[in-house]
Amino acid sequence: MKVKINNREYEFDHEISILDATKNAHIKIPTLCYSEKLEPFGSCRLCSVEIKGERTLKPACVTKITDGMEIFTHSQRVRKTRKTIMELIIASHGISCNLNCLTCSKSGSCEIKEIAEEIGVTEIRVPPIYNGLPEDRSSYSIVREPQKCIVCNRCVRKCSEVQSVNILTIANRGPDTYVTTFMDKGMGNVDCTNCGQCILECPTGALHEVYQMDQVWNALSDESKFVIVQTAPAVRVAIAEEFEAEPGKIATGQMVAGLRLLGFDKVFDTNFSADLTIMEEANEFLERFKNNGKLPLFTSCSPGWVKFLEHNYPDFIDNLSSCKSPQQMFGAIAKTYYANKLGISKEDMVVVSIMPCTAKKFERVRPEMKGDVDYVLTTRELAKMFKLAGIDLLNVPTEDYDEPLGISSGAGAIFGATGGVMEAALRTAYEVITGEELEKLDFEAVRGIEGIKEATVEINGINLKVAVVNGLGNARKVLEMIKNGEKEYHFVEFMACPGGCIGGGGQPIPTNNEIILKRMQAIYEIDRSLPIRKSHENPAIKTLYEEFLEEPLSEKSHELLHTTYLARS
Amino acid sequence: MEKIFLKKDLGKSLEEYDFPGLKNALNMEPQQVINKIKESGLRGRGGAGFPTGIKWETVLSIEDDTKFIICNADEGEPGTFKDRFLLENLPFKVLEGIIISGYATGSKYGYIYIRGEYVEAIKIVKKAIEKLYEKNILGENILNSDFSFDLKLVRGAGAYVCGDETSLINSIEGDRGKSRIKPPLPVFEGLYGKPTVVNNVETLAAAAEIMNYDNNPYSEMGTEKSRGTKLVSISGDVNKPGVYEVEFGKLTVRDIVQELAGGVKGEKIGFVIPGGISTEALTEEELDVPYTYENLQKMGSNIGSGGMIVVSSQRNYLEIVKNVSDFFRDETCGTCFPCREGNKNISKIVSDIYKRGYPTSKEIEIISDIQYAVSSAARCGFGESSLNLILSLFEKFYTKKVEV
Repeated sequence: MKVKINNREYEFDHEISILDATKNAHIKIPTLCYSEKLEPFGSCRLCSVEIKGERTLKPACVTKITDGMEIFTHSQRVRKTRKTIMELIIASHGISCNLNCLTCSKSGSCEIKEIAEEIGVTEIRVPPIYNGLPEDRSSYSIVREPQKCIVCNRCVRKCSEVQSVNILTIANRGPDTYVTTFMDKGMGNVDCTNCGQCILECPTGALHEVYQMDQVWNALSDESKFVIVQTAPAVRVAIAEEFEAEPGKIATGQMVAGLRLLGFDKVFDTNFSADLTIMEEANEFLERFKNNGKLPLFTSCSPGWVKFLEHNYPDFIDNLSSCKSPQQMFGAIAKTYYANKLGISKEDMVVVSIMPCTAKKFERVRPEMKGDVDYVLTTRELAKMFKLAGIDLLNVPTEDYDEPLGISSGAGAIFGATGGVMEAALRTAYEVITGEELEKLDFEAVRGIEGIKEATVEINGINLKVAVVNGLGNARKVLEMIKNGEKEYHFVEFMACPGGCIGGGGQPIPTNNEIILKRMQAIYEIDRSLPIRKSHENPAIKTLYEEFLEEPLSEKSHELLHTTYLARS
Repeated sequence: MEKIFLKKDLGKSLEEYDFPGLKNALNMEPQQVINKIKESGLRGRGGAGFPTGIKWETVLSIEDDTKFIICNADEGEPGTFKDRFLLENLPFKVLEGIIISGYATGSKYGYIYIRGEYVEAIKIVKKAIEKLYEKNILGENILNSDFSFDLKLVRGAGAYVCGDETSLINSIEGDRGKSRIKPPLPVFEGLYGKPTVVNNVETLAAAAEIMNYDNNPYSEMGTEKSRGTKLVSISGDVNKPGVYEVEFGKLTVRDIVQELAGGVKGEKIGFVIPGGISTEALTEEELDVPYTYENLQKMGSNIGSGGMIVVSSQRNYLEIVKNVSDFFRDETCGTCFPCREGNKNISKIVSDIYKRGYPTSKEIEIISDIQYAVSSAARCGFGESSLNLILSLFEKFYTKKVEV
C-alpha cells in the first residue's frame, strides 16, 4: 500500500491507522484521548489530519490508510483546527487561582501542557469555564478532582478494557458530561480495587493518589518517634525516572541514602519481608498440597487483586493465600520483633512504606491488619519529598540498607515484576521438597509481560501446574476458566497491574509497555547481581525464625503474618 | 404543480389504502426495485441528501442472514415537522416504504425510531403496525409472497443527536445516544454489527410513492440534481405556517414564503433559515434562489431537513442566536471535544453578546475559528453543522456593525 504523507511517499504492507503510519514516518501527531493500551476512541480530534479529496479532517487514530491516500499532517487547516480545539480544552480545564498548574499533581507530567506547547497555543481567547463539580475524597487511595477532567474517557476505558473493573462511567450529556462512579457514590464506596491504573492513564491532574507526604514530614520532625521506612522492590528501578533518568536505571543505593537524608531513623527493605512471604507462602502451598487443602493457591501480595476477588469472585476467597503481603508482614515484624530488639514501644515507632502502588494505601487501613503500617507513599510522592528536600538523587553517594530488616535475596527483589512471586516461591519450594539444590534459578516461562503465562514445573516427579497473571482483565479471564473447569492449576500468581508492581498505579508517569520492560530488565539485573538469590537462604530470615517465629506457619507466624478476607459482593 | 403526497391519500383508512407500491415491488426482483429508486433520483430527505438507491444497493450486495432497516423518525431539527405530518397523516405510506426497502435490500427486520415527544404519532403508528400484522402486510409471507418482514417501534428518549444515524443505532441497542466512529458505515456494520439501512421518514414515504407508478413521475420532476418533490415545513413569522409540498426548482425560497406560507407577519423578512437551524441563514436579498439542493449550496446554505423558519426584521436576532446556541450546547452528545467544548464556549460567548447587545470583532473572530474547527473535526454531522447558522448570522448582520 502506497501512501503520501506530506508529499513524501511511503509504503506499508498492510492496513494500519494513519497514526501508526505517521509514527513509522517519524512524524508526531498530537493525541489526548489515544493510549497505546486502549482501543482507539476518536474523541479529542487533536490527531485530525487532512486527506486529499475528503470534505472534513479525519482523526488519524481511527482512520485506516488506503492505497494512494494523500495525507497532510500539518496543513493550514489542520494547524488552525488543532489550535482552536486546544484553546477550548484549556478553557474548560478549571483554570483559576485555586486550580493552577503550580499546585497540580501532574505539574511535572501534564499531557495537556506538553501538547499545548507542541501545537503552539499562545493565547486562550475564550473565557474559562468552571464546571463546579466537587472533589471525590471518599477513597483511601485515590482522589478525583473533576474540575480538571477533560472527559477524554481514558480512565473509564482503562478501568473497563484493561482492568475489567468498570467502576468509572460517563454521565449526562453535552456540557454536563462528566466522569463519575456508580450513582455518584465516590471511589471509596464502589467496587474500586484502588489499583490506580486510572491515575497513570489520566492526562491531567483530575486523578491522583491520596497524599500522605505531610503526615510523614510531621512524623520525621517529631523527635519522640522512631521512624523507619521500607521500600518496595519496584520503587528502586523507577524512582530515578522522576529525576529525568532513563527508565530502567537502578537507584537503590541513592534512594537509601536519600531516605536517610530525609531523616528516617532506619531504612529497610520490603524485599526482606518478600523473602519472609515466600517462606510462609511456599510452606502454605506445600501444606495444602500434601493435605488436600484448597487449590489452586492464589497469591495475596497485590491488594488491588485481593479486593477485586473479594468483590467479584468471593467464592474463591478460600483459594487466597492467608499470607499478608510483604508490606504488612514488614510492619508486623517491625512493630514486634524489631521494636523488642530496640526496646522501644510499638506506639513510638512509625512505619512508612514506599510503594509503587496506590492500593497499598487502602491495604494499610484494612481492619484485619490495621496498625502494621502507618503511612504509605507512592514512588511519585517519595520523589516529591526528595525534591522538596533538595536531594539530587542521581548524584547522592550510594548507601546500603540497615540491618537486619534490610537484608534480602534476589528472590525478594523479583517480586517487583510479574512472575516474580511465583519464581521466588518455586526456588524455595523446589529445595524444600527435594532437599536438593536448584541448578537453574531462572524460570524463564513466568517472565515477560504477557497477560497470562503458564508453566509446568517438575519437582520430585510431580508436575506442578502454575500460572502467572497480571492485569485484572486477565485475572477475570483466568478465574472464569478455572470456574468453568477449562483450566486446572496448583498455584497462581495474580497481580492487579499490567507488568506487576513495576507497572503499579503509584509509579512515575508515564508508565507504558516500553518503560515497564526496561524496569523489568533492571529488576532481573538486581537479582542476578546478588550473592543470595533464594529466600530461605537469607540469613536475616533464618535468624528471625530462630529468634522469634520458630518456623514457617508456627503459631506466632499465624498471629503476625497471616490474615483473613471479606466477601464484598 | 403536481403534488405527490398531499393531493391524495390524506385521511384514508387502511380499508381504502391497498399498498399499491408494495404490491408492485413484490412482483419485481429486489434489484429491479432498486433500479427504479435509482432512476427516480431520490436523495435522502433527512438532511444529508445521499442517493437512496445506492444506499439500498450496497446493503443488497452484502451477503448476510441478518440485515436491518431503520426508519429514522427522530425528527428533532427545530422548525422541522414534516415527518410528524407524515407519521400522523400517512402512516401506511411510511410503513409501506419501510417494507419495500426491506424487500429491496434483503432485510427481514425493521425498526421505526420515533422521537418520544411525538406522542400522537407514536399512537397512530403503533396502531397502524398492529393493523398491518392483522392484514398480513407485516409478518410471515407478506401478501402471500415469499417475503417475510417484522417491524418494531422504538421510542426515542428525546435526544436531538439521536437523529444522527449512528447515535440512533446506539440508542436502539440500549447504549448512550452518542455517535459512532465512521467507518464502518452502518450499511456495512450498523445495528448489532449488521448491514443496516437508515432512511428518513420522508425518504421512505417517497420510495413507496415512486413504486406506485409504472412510469417514473419523480424523475420527471425537479432538476437534474434535485429530483421530485420535497416536503417543506414552514414556521416562524409567516401568515400560514404548515407543511407544503414543493417541486424542486419550480419555486424560489421567496415564492415559498410569499405564495405558500402567505408572506411575512410583520414589516418585512429579516432572514430565512431554509432547512432547520443547522443550515445557514439567507438574508432578505438572497431569497430569489430556486429551491434546489444545488442552488442553496451555491448560496452557502442547504436544503437540510426542509424546516424553513422565517424571521421578521422586527425580531431581536441576538435572541435567536442565543436560543440556537443554547440548544446546541445542551444537545451535543458530549463525546467529541470540538463539538462539546465548541458549543459550550460559543453559547457562553453568545450569552455575553446578547447581554451587551452587540458583538466585538474579537468575538466574531473566535466564533469563526471555533466554527471552523468544529465543522472540520467533529465526529458526526451534528457537530459539523451545529455552528453554521450562528456564524452565518454574525457574518451577514454583524461584521460591519461591530465596535472594535
